[in-house]
Amino acid sequence: MTVAPPSDPTEGEVRAVINGREVAANAGETVLDCARREGVFIPTLCELADIDHAPGTCRVCMVEVQTAGADKSHIVPACTTPVRDGLVVRTRTKHVRQTQRLQVELLLADHDQDCATCIRHGRCDLQDVAQFVGLDRNRFFDPARVAARPIDASSPAMIRNMQRCIRCQRCIAICRDVQSVDALVQVGCGVDLGVGLRYGLNQQNSACVTCGQCVLVCPTGALGERDETERALEMIYDPELFTVAQFAPAVRVGLGEEFGLPPGTNVEGQIITALRQLGVDTVLDTNWGADLVVMEEGTELLHRLEAGKRPTFSSCCPAWINFAERHYPDILPLLSTTKSPQQCVGVLAKTYLPAKMGIDPSRVRVLSIMPCTAKKEEATRRQLHHQGVPEVDVVLTTREFARLLGREGLDLKTLERSTFDNPFMSAYSGAGAIFGTTGGVMEAVVRTLHYVVTGRELDNVELGQLRGFEGVRQTQVDLGGKVGTVKIAMCHGLAPTRQIVEAVRAGETDLDFIEVMACPGGCVDGGGTLRSKKAYLPHALKRRDALYGIDRKTNVRRAHKNAQVQALYRDYLGEPHGQKAHELLHTHYTDRKIDTVQSVREVWRDIVMSGKVY
Amino acid sequence: MGEVSYGVWDGVVYDERPGAAVAGPTFPALRNFDTFDPANDVRAFVADRGFIVFDPDVNLLEMFWRQMTRAAEESCGRCTPCRIGTVLVRDALDAMRKGEPSDLDLDRIDELTEQMTATSMCGLGQTCGSALLAALRHFRGVLEAEIACAPAPQQHAMSYVTAPCIEACPSRINVPRYIDYIRDGRPAHSLGVILQKYPMAATCGRVCVRFCEMACRRKLVDEAVGIKTLKRYVADQQKGEHPMTFGRELVADPLGADMRVAVVGAGPSGISCAYHLLLHGYRVDILEAASEAGGMAVRGIPSYRLPKDVLHAETDIITALGGRFLFDRALGRDFSIDDLFARGYLAVFLALGCQQGTRLGIAGEDPALEGYTSGIRFLLGVHQHVSGAQPMTLGGSVMVVGGGNVAMDCARSALRMGADEVHVVYRRTRADMPADTTEIEAAEAEGVVFHYLTNPVRLMVEDGRITGVAVSEMQRTEPDASGRRSVEPVPDSERVMACTTLIPAIGQQVRAGALTPEDGIALDRWNCVAVDPVDLSTSRPGVFAGGDCATGASTLIHAMAAGLKATRSIDDWIQRGHVRFRPRSRMRQMLNENQMLAGDAVEVPLKHQYRSHHPELDPAVRRLMFEEVEQTISQEEAYREAKRCLRCYRIYSVITEKPIPEGVGR
Repeated sequence: MTVAPPSDPTEGEVRAVINGREVAANAGETVLDCARREGVFIPTLCELADIDHAPGTCRVCMVEVQTAGADKSHIVPACTTPVRDGLVVRTRTKHVRQTQRLQVELLLADHDQDCATCIRHGRCDLQDVAQFVGLDRNRFFDPARVAARPIDASSPAMIRNMQRCIRCQRCIAICRDVQSVDALVQVGCGVDLGVGLRYGLNQQNSACVTCGQCVLVCPTGALGERDETERALEMIYDPELFTVAQFAPAVRVGLGEEFGLPPGTNVEGQIITALRQLGVDTVLDTNWGADLVVMEEGTELLHRLEAGKRPTFSSCCPAWINFAERHYPDILPLLSTTKSPQQCVGVLAKTYLPAKMGIDPSRVRVLSIMPCTAKKEEATRRQLHHQGVPEVDVVLTTREFARLLGREGLDLKTLERSTFDNPFMSAYSGAGAIFGTTGGVMEAVVRTLHYVVTGRELDNVELGQLRGFEGVRQTQVDLGGKVGTVKIAMCHGLAPTRQIVEAVRAGETDLDFIEVMACPGGCVDGGGTLRSKKAYLPHALKRRDALYGIDRKTNVRRAHKNAQVQALYRDYLGEPHGQKAHELLHTHYTDRKIDTVQSVREVWRDIVMSGKVY
Repeated sequence: MGEVSYGVWDGVVYDERPGAAVAGPTFPALRNFDTFDPANDVRAFVADRGFIVFDPDVNLLEMFWRQMTRAAEESCGRCTPCRIGTVLVRDALDAMRKGEPSDLDLDRIDELTEQMTATSMCGLGQTCGSALLAALRHFRGVLEAEIACAPAPQQHAMSYVTAPCIEACPSRINVPRYIDYIRDGRPAHSLGVILQKYPMAATCGRVCVRFCEMACRRKLVDEAVGIKTLKRYVADQQKGEHPMTFGRELVADPLGADMRVAVVGAGPSGISCAYHLLLHGYRVDILEAASEAGGMAVRGIPSYRLPKDVLHAETDIITALGGRFLFDRALGRDFSIDDLFARGYLAVFLALGCQQGTRLGIAGEDPALEGYTSGIRFLLGVHQHVSGAQPMTLGGSVMVVGGGNVAMDCARSALRMGADEVHVVYRRTRADMPADTTEIEAAEAEGVVFHYLTNPVRLMVEDGRITGVAVSEMQRTEPDASGRRSVEPVPDSERVMACTTLIPAIGQQVRAGALTPEDGIALDRWNCVAVDPVDLSTSRPGVFAGGDCATGASTLIHAMAAGLKATRSIDDWIQRGHVRFRPRSRMRQMLNENQMLAGDAVEVPLKHQYRSHHPELDPAVRRLMFEEVEQTISQEEAYREAKRCLRCYRIYSVITEKPIPEGVGR
């Protein structure tokens, strides 16, 4: 017998009552959506509207509801309960307040209480929600329960600390739905439920690409970058060493808000001042490296086009490199071999720069500040060592750099601005500056290739057709000359990237060049950028506009016009993509696919099943 | 039933203890509740709806500690109150029953249990503490007295965790568990849960009749969870990049070479039985009359519903586990039961199936007539045609008689074989048809014409071939004493429907001649093998039977369930000479006979989320071919569908006088 499902009451407008006030609502929306719109505050924890995530697991947003005609009320979570016509909602009854408070107390029963040592201290959603509910005691905490939870510190980029996990599943949602990496799964059950890597692997040997988007959405300190501020300080304060710092295009537009400046403020000058005050011996710019990459990658692309090798994928983004190596090793031959700007600056800071400045290369150490967790891992790659030492010694994310400034008592807001003064590796063009946003690499390369192919400059360097924000954008540009029209695509975020990679593998595209940035929005929203509470990528467009603003203000807007880059080729490297450039500025990739064959027996062993048969 | 001493059930307080304040209501009669196993009194019972104490000496602290221990084990851990609440309450009750200092007093336990009950996400957390809460509110004196005279003696007990979908499934698959694993992103583990019950997951994920979905409580919100769809999704992962591997290593404790069992019939129940026997360590030979494995699943189900490679990948698991198929060996023709025992098999499982079509029993019926073919023989012919073994031609007008899934299979296959038109004649109404609604709808979409309340009465024959069937219109009778409405012919309504092929698909029977009197196997009045419903033993010691041959033509899932049940009986019989008591079966019986999982309501608003459907081939295209009509859902759809499960777990515990005999479960 089939029972007809109840009619769908999710259409149209309904009237409900929240805290005695009649409100209008759409029948499909949740009590939480409606309350927020009406300005009624309900504490939440696991929910994250920006990624459409409301798993209903934390049970903090409980409210009292009474359906029309019902004789008693129920305590329900606001985030998953739909508004129905005539629903009466009460958010501040004594029962509700007690329930919410007890829920947070229960969350703390197996949560690491050592807040002062936590990477998220002061910026933690759980601390906030404890304050919201007026938590005044902590009766159920058991240190032994916490100590039993694992900490995965296998990755050079990220640390996953289950002693701080509140099982909100945001990390799983972002990894699965937004990035399509799907490396994270729920493991264990009951009080031991946690988040782990698929197949019982660890962060380092798994399908994880260290993009760090999970860190951006984690409400507590359960997911974080590996903090290396101490290593940075040791390096800076070692008088024997010559410390070189570089910072990425996106860092200068994504740091100000930590110090109370409006999002998107360009704090390049203050960063230079801060680094000098810290005692860094010279400040270089990753933007300079970006201009260099335009020359190398652009030339490589032309060579590949001439050889009929299509398409070519960009290679600046280390999480994208990991994604290709871990998930699609068969496309590795399509990746540009040009190193990323960070590594180009690193290797030249230990070769070209000492030669020019007359210092002992063995004393040089490179510190880079990146909006990226994957850059930390990139710096440790074996292929990116030069003569046995890493090209880049320490990578700090934007967050760590903010923490470092805090430790040193430096308030960016009050610092004077300075300008770059290194005559070899710090000047940049507008092309290098826009590397930090999706489409930026492509635009920079097109500006230069047009000149290389035709011998004429583009009339207008701002290529509006490359500047959209869709996950995958395809277009074509006429480079003129014998190259003619090339078909290009830009994608940001790994779910769109997966689409295009699948299309390339299936032979369904005829693209020439594909720019990939693993993080949605590009580096300005990278996994190493400042975290926002209760929001995902709220400042994406402001940061992006700031980068375009920097481009507009630079005198030189084409990478090939960068005099310091021209000098590098003239004095040191020779031709772009020449032999020396190849030795220093190109790399290779390896197949690191996760190939796991599970036997039924292993799976059964894993299944803790009541009344198990075998 | 033993006298109820006190308790709370559905919110009503019962107290028959000497000296109870007022005479309250009397507890409604319970069926078959006195003893759990023979001569072992039931002292108390705990459920989601409350608790009942028969023996006032029962220690509640210990009883609720057990209930909460089981809840903590079962908790998935997603939502806060259940994850940590079950553990805190369990530990507090444990300390109290032992007379040790407890971190939490009864007020704190009450506070936590209330929080779990009111705010947990799923049925487990919402119901595991409701009986405890009732005791705290109404019989607090008992609990306080127990604390005062702790430690409490250990009681004899068992707990049983189930859900409506699990109870509805003949194989008792832990449905919420396998859905959870999908939601967790671990489809291999999900398949692992299914494989604990039977090997033919992809097959079941395509053709199961879904008792589980009929019981699904999500229906109270919008639609049942697509349980079968999800099963197919996880099973089809085996066709992907990382299939799980099967091998002899799955056999935990292989037995000696002399521990041999014969399975007669390689259909779903035979395959299932062989699978479990192999996992138990036995040497298993499957003797099959046909020359391939699968039984009715291969011959009776057309490939547009169940592609043969899908089925055979699953029957191959038997070989991977070390089992042996002996094809083209028919019982009664090539060997007898005596032969099997003479060859050294210690036990025999008969899974003969029902291979012979039932006749209509109307005037002029003769299977030798040109154009006459039983439903099951027709499907076999189609199978041989599609597999290339023997071509068949079909044209003209086809009439299928019957309203079950076999009739639907015949009608849809006839279209694909080239019939100009296909008519289904059924004596009752559409609502009465036993076929799966989705099958009926698919047949309608493909152009099959249905004639309800129509019954054949006579064959029209010319020159030895069928030219038509005289049918009579039927009408529904008034409800009889039991409320059931029958049908009867409408007087003078006879008319002739022309057809060139008649396919009666009204039922099947065990093939005549398979069993002879010398085999010593008693049959029942429907000519099926007579078996004990509890252990599936036949009248001959050492011979067990299950599937269609014992029940009459039934479902795949029933057949597979019988295979597992028979394995446990056979194992007990070989190892111990008798079949053991099964506590979990007994628990189920208590629940079913007393309707403990009574239908309830979902009282709070829940967001509507309609179920994902299989992508399907276009009816206009698919009616011409035997390619699989339904396709697997995508990963995104699977995640979405899995999130619809309400996890309606319930925990039931019983406290008994004496130890409950150890016996395999389910």
